[in-house]
Amino acid sequence: MTAAQIIFLITAAVILGSAFMVVTTKNLVHAALWLIVTLFGAAVLFATLNAGFIAVVQVVIYIGAIAILFIFAVMLTRRSMTDTGPGLNRGWWLSAAIALLTFGGLVWLVSGWGGFTKAAPAYPSGFDAVAALAHALVSPEAFVLPFEVASVLLLAALVGAVYIAFQRKGEE
Amino acid sequence: MPQPQDYQTLLPVIVLAVWACALLLLDSFLIQRKGLTACLAAAGLAITLGLTLSQIGRSSSGFSGMVVLDGFSTFINALQLVSGLLGVALAYAYVKRMGIERGEYYTLLLFSVVGMMLMAQATDLIVVFIALEMLSIPLYVLAAFNRTQAASEEAGLKYFLLGAFSTGFLVYGITLVYGATASTNLSAIFAAASSTSNLLLTIGAALILVGFGFKVAVVPFHMWTPDVYQGAPTAVTGFMSSGAKIAGFAALLRVFATAFPAIAADMTDILWALAAVTMILGNLVAISQTDIKRMLAYSSIAHAGYILMAFVPYGNPAVAPVSIAAGLFYLAAYVITNFGAWGVVIALEQPDGKGLQISDYSGLFWRKRGLAVAMTVFMLSLIGFPPTIGMVGKFYLFRAIIDGGFTGLAIIGVIASLVSAFYYLRVVVNMFMREGEQKIEREFWLDLTWGAAAFLTVAISLAPGWLFYLASAAGLR
Amino acid sequence: MIPLSWYLTLSAALFSIGMFGVLARKNAVAILLGIELMLNAVNINLVSFWRYNNPVLMDGQVFAIIVFAVAAAEVAVGLALVISIYRRRNTVVADEIDLMKW
Repeated sequence: MTAAQIIFLITAAVILGSAFMVVTTKNLVHAALWLIVTLFGAAVLFATLNAGFIAVVQVVIYIGAIAILFIFAVMLTRRSMTDTGPGLNRGWWLSAAIALLTFGGLVWLVSGWGGFTKAAPAYPSGFDAVAALAHALVSPEAFVLPFEVASVLLLAALVGAVYIAFQRKGEE
Repeated sequence: MPQPQDYQTLLPVIVLAVWACALLLLDSFLIQRKGLTACLAAAGLAITLGLTLSQIGRSSSGFSGMVVLDGFSTFINALQLVSGLLGVALAYAYVKRMGIERGEYYTLLLFSVVGMMLMAQATDLIVVFIALEMLSIPLYVLAAFNRTQAASEEAGLKYFLLGAFSTGFLVYGITLVYGATASTNLSAIFAAASSTSNLLLTIGAALILVGFGFKVAVVPFHMWTPDVYQGAPTAVTGFMSSGAKIAGFAALLRVFATAFPAIAADMTDILWALAAVTMILGNLVAISQTDIKRMLAYSSIAHAGYILMAFVPYGNPAVAPVSIAAGLFYLAAYVITNFGAWGVVIALEQPDGKGLQISDYSGLFWRKRGLAVAMTVFMLSLIGFPPTIGMVGKFYLFRAIIDGGFTGLAIIGVIASLVSAFYYLRVVVNMFMREGEQKIEREFWLDLTWGAAAFLTVAISLAPGWLFYLASAAGLR
Repeated sequence: MIPLSWYLTLSAALFSIGMFGVLARKNAVAILLGIELMLNAVNINLVSFWRYNNPVLMDGQVFAIIVFAVAAAEVAVGLALVISIYRRRNTVVADEIDLMKW
């Protein structure tokens, strides 16, 4: 077993363990903190896959913005933190069965695919992935359109979120 | 630099997106005149509709194959813009009556239409994905728009949670397709699919189908529909029951017909089963509804099943053009009828949320004849009874399905339609037979919407050839 | 070297755990956390396919960036809805939001 495999196995164990805690912990602040652990594990995976930029974006955007937003939301709705009832539905075992079936089915089906166990091609030496990504994002030969649409999407989401969460005078 | 052709391909979408951003700015200066915002939004939609119609007959592709302009996208975009215009017309007086007259309503509606149009033109799965979000996120907000009613906010939350959940499936499916073919471009996927093992592609396509199934409300992914349609402001429900359906079906058709013909053998059985279950369950559950919004929600589920029927033979090149044309015709017929029916519902709805039970329609004929006759026309059209556009649509659809060799499915469809007559006619009987009291809202744009929809529902059924011609010309080849 | 199957299995497991969270949790914020897990599974898939197919083509990474943007937009709208409902009802538990049957 190589060092890379050991790192992968440890990271995967951390990701899955913390993800399991995210969906089972009753205390929502703890769940959001476990989510940060999961996200950090994914960032490590991205780094081992030579996607350094994605790893950084994962830490900055996902952990720095999205997970923090979750913690804010939990704090603002803090009464739910001390909810005494169970955190899960009564039919949780059915959900667990569906999730297990999905996992089994996905792995079983995907493992029939010819490229399932293929090894990674050698990473081209001297290839600057960040520069290539930057070109791909803004080049009309590549992905400028989804990039621009994403900006409009974020604007629309911003307008919508402000409208919904804004507390007007006269509303309690 | 982007070439002029890139811009020409996407011109209506770009114009509408810029207009929506400008309207957002302008709206902050129109503090007391939100009616003007509505008119400006309608003007933007009308200009874009003009641009779209001027593109009839053209075809090009832009942004290195990310988007195309063809007969199919022009047909769908024109339909989307008309439903956007009708959405503004329904909302104009409704938001005043409900006390939720805010400029954001129209801006978000325009953003949503931008996403819907982009979805019909997208030929790359990344663009399909982001266009789907572009149309969904404004709809989540619009569903929650009536902040004076708890039901509306909860409808928004529910729509959001299930929509985001389904997005997860869709995008996971897209990643598997990307993994199998090393591309997100639909024609590149098609080219790669014939040379590689199709297993991963099939799983990916199935997950994509789940994602779209949520959006267009196909059984068993329909459970959000009745609650969201009931809780959302009625004008929003009218818009989203048409717009989101057109966009979802357009993208589904584009993706499957362009990228996945190689796995049609597997997909056809799945689509067959989904269409059959959707028609049966949608119509059966609708019978027990007493709330008109819930009834129309189940009716919309059932109609998703009828439209899905047209997709079943998508991999058979001999039958697919006709059945897809029949599907597009049916979609157009559904949009017209559906907007009319929601217009009538809005005319009877009271600010306190009363007037939404089917029993509230009792004796409507004796109080407001025009409205009752229009509602009768819409109900007959939803059943598929002559002389309405719904009948013509069902005729084309069933004929195409039988020609495609799916007689069993067509029989299920006919039986489901017969069952549906029961609950649609109950509304009609209520209007003509019983005594009742109701307060009816009169407003010019609203009256125009249901009046025009009723006129078109009957008129097009008398001369349906041109619309069917347009739908056939729009078919994907 | 690590075969692709390891990454795909991990992402399928993460996706299923997220799905369990969505289906089984009662609290709207917790459901949203489950959706985030699913989107992370998607990104693991995308980046590993990018690395294992042809790392010179950037499709996978671009797609991952778009998924980030969409996730951010969804979370913003979703948490706004949650906070707004909390203000009115003092609950964000999905089962207790029962004006309409869930």
